[in-house]
Amino acid sequence: MEYVAYALALFVIVTAVATALLRDILAAIVVFGAYSLGMALLYTLLLAPDVGLTEAVIGAGVTTLLLLLTIAKTVRPSDDRNIERIDPRALFACGALAAVFGLTLPGLPAVGDPDAPIISYDAVTGYYLTQSYSETGVENTVTAVLAAYRGFDTFGEATVVFAAGVAALVVLRREVFT
Amino acid sequence: MSDAAADADEPRTYIESEVIMSSVRVVAPFVLTFGLFVTFHGADSPGGGFQGGALVGVVVLMLAFAFGIDPTRQWLGSRIVTIVAALGLVVFAAIGFGSVALGGGFLEYARYPLHHPTKLGIEAVEIGGIALIVAGVIIGLFFLTAAGPRGDES
Repeated sequence: MEYVAYALALFVIVTAVATALLRDILAAIVVFGAYSLGMALLYTLLLAPDVGLTEAVIGAGVTTLLLLLTIAKTVRPSDDRNIERIDPRALFACGALAAVFGLTLPGLPAVGDPDAPIISYDAVTGYYLTQSYSETGVENTVTAVLAAYRGFDTFGEATVVFAAGVAALVVLRREVFT
Repeated sequence: MSDAAADADEPRTYIESEVIMSSVRVVAPFVLTFGLFVTFHGADSPGGGFQGGALVGVVVLMLAFAFGIDPTRQWLGSRIVTIVAALGLVVFAAIGFGSVALGGGFLEYARYPLHHPTKLGIEAVEIGGIALIVAGVIIGLFFLTAAGPRGDES
């Protein structure tokens, strides 16, 4: 099993480097899909099948399709400018968002802190693993954490996914998806 | 001959391929079944609404990839994708605020007067909320990317 993991890690690194180095964008996209597939297998091997499934569907499937569509729909810019014009409003919005996220940084535990609740087993992980079935009645602890213990966060995430779709509508100045 | 000349200028997003069409025809039912399984069985096995919804969405993407984006767009109509995504968000919010209305906290499933309220609540949020949102948005993003900005179509 260990050797399979090492082989997969090597495969992921090689495909990642190839994605960055290949000049042909189509080839880079195909290799990037292979990278995602390797990551999905690696996640599954590391006993995170939920993440592996997501990586396989979103990373290897949907992202590859969207990137392929994008290169089919785009052309090289016609003028000689090398650098994009910067929209001050967009710059301000991005800066404000980064600042808001930055404000939460002091609240996080230090990197590698052994006393961080997520690392010290009994405080969080152990509690979920031993209590989630009796408290929620579902066997998949990941689902229990996602939809029950962290349900409010998941509601936020689902809203973000929906907002991403709406944002794409706004950016492309369209009123319906299809 | 004029068609070929026009095609050379336009970046083409669809080229009919017997191999892709046949593969998709064989694979799509299995992907759809697997997606529904992952969605509905996500509480007791790996997966859940996000992965299952994405798989179900991918089935539509595969159909569009194999049989052409515009025919698939017409087959879907202009309403269903928006309705599915918005319905998911409404269901999720309704379950969340429903427990608030019953005197509990947001998404406090135990407030619902049901047998196994937490298990049922999790299933409802995963299937009726997350899966619908993700499937709708993935399909929507694909067709939006294919269409490009308004005023750009030929």
